[in-house]
Formats: sequence, structure tokens, C-alpha cells
Amino acid sequence: MGIKVDPKKCVSCMACEMACGYHRDDGFALLSSCIMVTRGREKRDYSAVVLKEEENLVIARPEGLEIRRIGAVGEEAGADQSKSDASAKPLLLREPCDLCSDREDGPLCLQFCPVNAISMD
Amino acid sequence: MEYLSTNKIAIIDLATSKITDQEVDEDLVRERIGGVGITMALYEQYQSEDPIVLGTGLLTGTLAPASALGMITAKSPLTGKVCHAPLTLYAGLELKYSGFDYLVIKGSSKKPVYLWIHDGVADISDAKDVWGKDVWASTDTIRELMGDSLIQVLAIGKAGESESDFAQVCINYWASGDRWGFGKLFGRKKLKLVALRGMSLLEVLDPEGFVKQCKELLSTLKAVAFADKKGIEEIPAAIGEEDIQKWLAPLVHRHQSCFNTPFPTNTFVFLDEDPKLLKESEKEEPGFLITDVYGLLGFKKLGLSAADACALLRECARYGIDAVAVAELSQKAGKKKPDEIKKSFSGLKGALENIGKGRFSPWSPPKPIFANFGGSQDAQWWERKQAVAYIFGIHPIFALMSPELSEEKLIELANLGTGLGFTSEILDKVIADISK
Repeated sequence: MGIKVDPKKCVSCMACEMACGYHRDDGFALLSSCIMVTRGREKRDYSAVVLKEEENLVIARPEGLEIRRIGAVGEEAGADQSKSDASAKPLLLREPCDLCSDREDGPLCLQFCPVNAISMD
Repeated sequence: MEYLSTNKIAIIDLATSKITDQEVDEDLVRERIGGVGITMALYEQYQSEDPIVLGTGLLTGTLAPASALGMITAKSPLTGKVCHAPLTLYAGLELKYSGFDYLVIKGSSKKPVYLWIHDGVADISDAKDVWGKDVWASTDTIRELMGDSLIQVLAIGKAGESESDFAQVCINYWASGDRWGFGKLFGRKKLKLVALRGMSLLEVLDPEGFVKQCKELLSTLKAVAFADKKGIEEIPAAIGEEDIQKWLAPLVHRHQSCFNTPFPTNTFVFLDEDPKLLKESEKEEPGFLITDVYGLLGFKKLGLSAADACALLRECARYGIDAVAVAELSQKAGKKKPDEIKKSFSGLKGALENIGKGRFSPWSPPKPIFANFGGSQDAQWWERKQAVAYIFGIHPIFALMSPELSEEKLIELANLGTGLGFTSEILDKVIADISK
């Protein structure tokens, strides 16, 4: 079971990122989020939602989903995203998604997505 | 100020290059709440030094729905009144997380400079690498210099540098809600841009109570009238203007929200690329993010095609000039061809009829959007809706779509977040004070 993202519905509002940051830090911050919206290709209007799981980096791009094994291609995955997105690289150093296991209602990112782009797989 | 705040104000003197930091006094917050309540207080404190005050609302950058808003408060060269312009997209968020709730920029520099506001540090830097460049090139240059593509840039273009009355402070590459000519003030101060980036943490007094309330509010909002709508092209028909959806539809690539805003008020159009393209375009600059409904409508009313109108909006943003003023003055001058309109940017002059009458930017439409607020929605109603949005840091267009984001709910959130005991009487007093 994991988080599933539909990037075609995503409006890049970052609510998921802030909700995840809150889950990690008990305050509002973006530094520890394990889900993030890449915003570095602003002029091209291209963004993806990247999720760090225990073993995988899940990259939900508009044209399709990509799953990369962390470690095996970890540096490559980080480098690819960080070319134009400075906050992507530290994602590999953050705690993986725990599906907000300490919360009765489940993952906060899902609950705060205003356009229902996030669901449970 | 311990909660929902980075607890810092930077006083930046461009004349002496001195920067001093102040704490955000909790008593000031108790009295003025935040946002324009405090930017106005700071403006009045430094008004003899012609300040530009940047600020964020009390709830900006939180999980409160639509908490995207930052603001610029300054004396408008167009109206001569102290006015407020919205900072949307991710600019309000980034200002809050840069480590400063407020920036007071006073005095004038002798040579072009820019401000680099990051992680609780404010620096004044020589702008020789960006002065003379358009808004797009300036944003690219700063991001490349700092090696960070997420820096939010409030920049002027050639319109601001030449102190045009219609110069706009743009956000990254896009038009902003600065309809007051604040770009001229930047130019007069030789301030090319303000670059923002930060990784702060905002503490919350009752985090679980605050988040629960945010969740309930969002849940209500998701069920209402705008839920099946998207994009700036939905707005004109909803406010009694011409329906432009069919006109714009062939160009629409994607809809984009400002930070944590449930309705995407921005529409990205592809002009030099297939709008249906899903993968990343190989073109560097395939289109434009439309953020200003009146600029778009203004060019449509000139009889331009959607492609020509959007291309002109892009040229306005590069030049850093208010598209609404360009459209109105082109109409008056009988100019209807894109090339001749573009040529008129330099030296554009004239009196505008379509100008803000109050203190809040007319970038926000003057009436409810999609929603039924009940009662009368006159100019006074609009001013109050905008005042509340600018105090708490709520997207001012979204505020016109969401009766659910009531004053009571926002006060409740502010109290859960800070414990400062805000009441509707305090809010009334702040609104009365900023309206004087």
C-alpha cells in the first residue's frame, strides 16, 4: 500500500508538501517533506510530484510514472531532478514516507490535496 | 512573536546600505493582527523616508486554505494614496520562509542594487549583472547566480528602470497584481529586484487544533460551487464579463494554483508549442502563465486573437509594464496591432479610467466569483473582503469565491495558531485603522 499521485490533476499548489512537512516537524516547514512538487522548470510549465518511499523514488510526471530504486540509481535520480530544482536533491536524504502511520485518518498529503490528485494505491 | 511568525522585520536603508533587524513585537500583532495591519503601521512609522513595505499575513504559508498572500504597501505614483498590491504564486510563501515577516525598504540607492533575502539574512548587492535586462532575463540571471531555481523574484523590467507610471513589480516571469505603478518606485530607488528564498519553520501554539480546523475548512470548500471549475478563463463570465473560455481553450496547457489555494486562478498557455504536450517541452520559453484576468480581457477587447493577446501579455511581463494600462491606452489611441502596441511600451503616457479607487488592487474583481455571499455586495463589501484577506494572508481572488472562509473562521484559526485572543472587534478596529 502506498501513495498514488495523478500528476494530470495536480495544480502545483504544494499543499501536500506543506502537510507532509507538518507531519514531520509539528510546525510549518518544507525541509523535511518526503513528497514535493518540482517547480524548477517554471518557464516550460513542467512539473512532477516526487515521493520518497522506503526503497523507491516515485516520480509522477504528466507523461507517466517512473519508479527508481534508491541506492542502485539514487545519485542519478537525485541529479536528474536537481538539475533545475535545488530542493530535489535533499529529498534523498529525508525520511521516507511512513503513510502518516501515527495518524488515525491516514496520510495528511491526501487529505490536504484540494483537487484529489493523491489517493491510496 | 513566537507563533506563525519568523519574528523578524528587516529595515533596509538603500541610501546608507545599512540593514537592521527588529523582532516582531507581540503587542503590535495583538493590536494589528498582521498583513496590511502591520505593513500600514510600518509605512506610517517610516513614511518620511518614502518606504516600500513588503509583508505577509498572519496565516501566510500555513495549511490554512489559500494562505498564499504576501503584499507590497507603498504610496502609489498613480493615485498618490498608500495602497496594497498582492504577492501571489509562491512569493508570499517564500517571503515568510525567508526568515522575515516584513521588509521595510527606505531611502534610495545611488547605483542599481538588488536585495537577497534568505534564511534570516538580508543583503544589498550590486545589480550590475541585471540592470538593463528585462524581467525574464533578470530572474534567470539571479537564479543562475545563486544556483537555485526556486528563488522567488520580485523584479522590475525596463518600464521600472525608466520610471514609467505603469511599471509593475513582476513575480518571476509573470504579471503581478501591482496595478499601482510600484515598479516605478523600485526604479526610483534604483532597486532592480528582491530575491527571496528560505527554509524557516513556523511554530504553531495548538498545531493539531489548527490543522483539524484547516482540514474541515478545506473539506467544506471542496464541496462548493467552484469545485468543477479551473483556471483564469472561468472568471470573466462569472463576474459578468464576456465568456472567453472557447477563445482561450485551444492554447491552454495547464492550470496552476498559488500556494495552497484550492482554485487554480492561473492558466498556462502554450504559444510556441503544442498545448496538449505532456512531456517537458524542448523549447526554453514555450508560453506564458496568465495571472491577470483584466490584462487578458483588455487585449481581447482590442479584437486580438487569443494567441496575439497572450503573446502581448508575455511582452508586457518581460518589459515589466501593467498590461491593463497598455490595453486601455492602446484602445484610446486606436492601436490594435500587436507590433505597434509593443512599440508603445516605451514612453507610454496617459490618464487611466480603469484605476483602483480604494486601497486594494483592482486586480481582484469587484464582485463575488461563483459564490453567493448573501446580502449586498457593494464597493464597501469588496473593500472589507480584501482587507480581511490582506490581513490574514488569504488569496484575495479566492476570498471572493469562498464565503466559507469567513472572518469568524479566520479569527478562530489565528487564535488556534497564536493564542493571542483576536476578536471581531479587534479585526474591525484594524480595518478602520488601515482605511483612514
